[in-house]
Amino acid sequence: MPEQAQLLPGTLDLLILKAVSLGPLHGYGVLLRIEQITRGALLAEQGALYPALSRLEHQGLLASEWGTSDNNRRAKFYRLTTSGRRRLREETQSWNRLATAIGAALGAKPQEG
Amino acid sequence: MFPQLRSLWKALWNRSQIESELDAEMRFHVESRAQDLLRSGLSREDAHRRARIEFGSIGSYQEKVRETRRVTWLEDFAQDLRYGWRVLRKNPGFVVVAVLTLALGIGANTAIFSVVYAVLLKPLPYAKSDELFNVFEAQPQEGITGTGWSFMNFAELREQSHVFSEMAGVQKHQLTLTGQGAPAVVNTSVVTPELFSLFGEKPLAGRVFFSEDGKPGALPVVIVSENLWRGTFGADPKIIGSSISLDKRSFSVIGIMPAAFRFPFLTKSEQLWIPPVQDPLFGSWMNRRGGHWLQVTGRLKPGVSLTQAQAELDALSARFAKEFPAENGGWTIRMVPLQQMIVGNAKPPLLVLLGAVGLVLLIACANIANLLLTRATSRAREIAVRTTLGAGRARIVRQLLSETAVLGLLGGATGIALAYWGVQGLSALLPESLPRVNAIRVDNVVLGFALLLSAIASCAFGLAPALFAANSNLQTSLREGGGRSGESRNRRRARSFLAAGEIALAMVLLVAAGLLLRSFANLTSVSPGFDVQRVMKADISLPQFQYSKPQQWTAFSDELLARIQVQPGLQESAVAVPRPIVDGVINLAFDIVGSPAASASASRTANYVSVSPEYFRVMGIPLLSGRLFNRRDVMPSQHITVVSKAMARLYFPNQDPLGKQLTVAFPFDNGAPREIVGIVDDVRDVALGQDPGPMMYVPFAQAPFWGANVIVKSTLSTSSAAATIRQQVRKIDKDLPVTDVAMMPEIIQASVAQPRFRTFLLGLFAAMALVLAATGIFGVISYSVSQRTREIGIRMALGAQSENVLMQVLKEGARLAAIGLALGLAGSLAAMRLIATLLFRVKPADPLTFVVVAVILAGVTLAASYIPARRATRVDPMVALRYE
Repeated sequence: MPEQAQLLPGTLDLLILKAVSLGPLHGYGVLLRIEQITRGALLAEQGALYPALSRLEHQGLLASEWGTSDNNRRAKFYRLTTSGRRRLREETQSWNRLATAIGAALGAKPQEG
Repeated sequence: MFPQLRSLWKALWNRSQIESELDAEMRFHVESRAQDLLRSGLSREDAHRRARIEFGSIGSYQEKVRETRRVTWLEDFAQDLRYGWRVLRKNPGFVVVAVLTLALGIGANTAIFSVVYAVLLKPLPYAKSDELFNVFEAQPQEGITGTGWSFMNFAELREQSHVFSEMAGVQKHQLTLTGQGAPAVVNTSVVTPELFSLFGEKPLAGRVFFSEDGKPGALPVVIVSENLWRGTFGADPKIIGSSISLDKRSFSVIGIMPAAFRFPFLTKSEQLWIPPVQDPLFGSWMNRRGGHWLQVTGRLKPGVSLTQAQAELDALSARFAKEFPAENGGWTIRMVPLQQMIVGNAKPPLLVLLGAVGLVLLIACANIANLLLTRATSRAREIAVRTTLGAGRARIVRQLLSETAVLGLLGGATGIALAYWGVQGLSALLPESLPRVNAIRVDNVVLGFALLLSAIASCAFGLAPALFAANSNLQTSLREGGGRSGESRNRRRARSFLAAGEIALAMVLLVAAGLLLRSFANLTSVSPGFDVQRVMKADISLPQFQYSKPQQWTAFSDELLARIQVQPGLQESAVAVPRPIVDGVINLAFDIVGSPAASASASRTANYVSVSPEYFRVMGIPLLSGRLFNRRDVMPSQHITVVSKAMARLYFPNQDPLGKQLTVAFPFDNGAPREIVGIVDDVRDVALGQDPGPMMYVPFAQAPFWGANVIVKSTLSTSSAAATIRQQVRKIDKDLPVTDVAMMPEIIQASVAQPRFRTFLLGLFAAMALVLAATGIFGVISYSVSQRTREIGIRMALGAQSENVLMQVLKEGARLAAIGLALGLAGSLAAMRLIATLLFRVKPADPLTFVVVAVILAGVTLAASYIPARRATRVDPMVALRYE
């Protein structure tokens, strides 16, 4: 198993949107997918996923419906809405800008002089 | 917002279902996790325990989920407001200026709107008042645009109409109430019995009229108003069925109407109602086809269109004209909504005032927008940081708008407080002749208007700066240290445009105020043709059942004048019906003996006045030729008349009117000719603002009225003169009331109350506009100077003189003034056409007013630029160069 890192605060929403953008998932599936795409970054507690899901659904970024899971149990599936997709795009760009800026700042070397 | 509303709805209506779903969802998670852990080799017990630990507390997460379902946009807004408040609190100076500016605009608008609403918009206080129409007769060829009905015409109209569900006729009158303390004149409404069912009004006690009460031979009955009953009759519980004496005739009280019902007297709460058949004057007119005295109101049946109604009226007037050509030839029947009839000509000036005060608010908004633009520039960096951290453009605009919403709320609240105060002030100023003044108050509708106005104003001054700010270039804003020199060209242009616009709007208001002021000055300096310094008036009306013969009327006035004459302090006196400006006019048709009779389309008419011989001396009206009246001009002698200069010029061009004879359509003349014995100078008898028309005077002794409208020259105060007159009247007849004693100059002053009112208000608004525009320009120039401190410093370091710097800044102000004045000139020329009808002897494009206003505005603009310009010249180059 690779080295496990805590998720950065504020990134959970973005990761959920990203996870769901690859196909509808139930809550537990979202958790597995995030672990997969972050190569094992962990939530402090898995329950924290659900307020985030609810908030995103409430904002109209996710839609949900009840369906049947792989093991034939009833489960609530989330999928990305159009505005969720747009938000994901914007957040990704914004994240990239910030990451570049911070990366550049951290990578800067003191000037000779 | 929509998905949030949907989930809010779900949360409210399917609470238990949501709860169980939430539970099931989390349980599914934990069990799935346990399955996976089981598969990876843990014992069943360990797997379940581990899964639960990894999940955390199900209960607390359920609570957190519930929290997310609250309506977040409202919370966002509240958060924005809180943030806006915090930001604003750091700039108290800015807030005070902005809030006061806005409050002034909102307050003035709300106060004026409260008047406009009460007078023009508020439905009349009657059930389904939009169905009520005033139905009137008109004779277009003679220029009679609207008048009342004869009772016989009205009775046929009412019986035969299919479009009106009910109709009633009214006329106002004054009768003398005796037997209740001092004799008093009461407002008497002479009404056909249907009046109360027309308005759907029930009496407080007793009954309303039955149709039998209106028939000839019915017993005299009267209905009193609640306030008259409570006041004059001391709320006598046994008043119903008792008798009261009106004009010395006994009437039986049958009902009391509640105080809220007022018609046809709209502002007077003390009144009484009698049927026409019981009225000493109108009762005798009921069986005449001619005469136009009954004001008719009808309630249109639901679903009947105006066209249908008018078609029926047209058919009726055609039939009247055919059957009774002498009385009805050339007459038409028209109708207007009752509300419109009551509002009358009060509408145009009120709309002008509303427009003017709207411009003041616009200037106030421009000022605040300018302040905000300035602030937005210095906050560019803060906004850039927010944008970098992921705030969308919409979010930034929303946050800035929330700040302006805080300003708007504060300004609106202060404005409403100002409006309460303003309405009180206005009520004191309002001319009494304005209809429905008693309905003016700050009610819910007016409050709603104020709130709406604050919201619109906030958007108006907040949106442009917010959009500018959100559009600013991130790169530049972040790079530039304090954002001080980072102002875009666009924004500077926007600010200059706003300042120039303020000058333009201020110019429109100043020109309007200037024109009204000139026009008011013209109005009050116009010579009325008479001189009434120290002249007072008093009214004595004679009960017509007692004083029924014309000889009695003459005898009474002769005795009264003789008694007044000898009182110390009272000098010469006269009677006159009607007195100029005070009483309104009597316009009568006449023929010239020996000339062909006038056709119906070009009939000869003149305003008719019956006066005692002393009248011309008391009023100071000069005789031009011939003679005046004397005591020998009595009923049996030759009937004579004195005409005005305008009458001589209009009807006797190039002839000497003296010796010519007229027959006047006055009932008591019975067609006897009157010889013209004199010509007097013109007087303005209708209103100060109306040019004198043809007038004829007749001796009171030859054409008496049943009352004495007295004018008295006196050196006493109004009250002691009134007491003396009352005392003398009482000596002649103790039951005669003396009413409406007043100084003539005061009444003439009051007759221009409406023009004075609008001139004062428009002047006030123009002054506000001027102050606001001046502060606006001051702000723009100051800011521009502070922006260029460094540039100015460099120029001065390079040897520029302070005069050069001063001129440079002043030039900027002059440029604003030039643009603003050009725009204002165009705007004023267009807008002044709207107030043309309010002007007296001054043209809407009066050059003097325009020049004076332009000079004032240019002066104020330069003065407002001068202060910052002086500051610019004191810039220390060393400090300025370090200035960042």
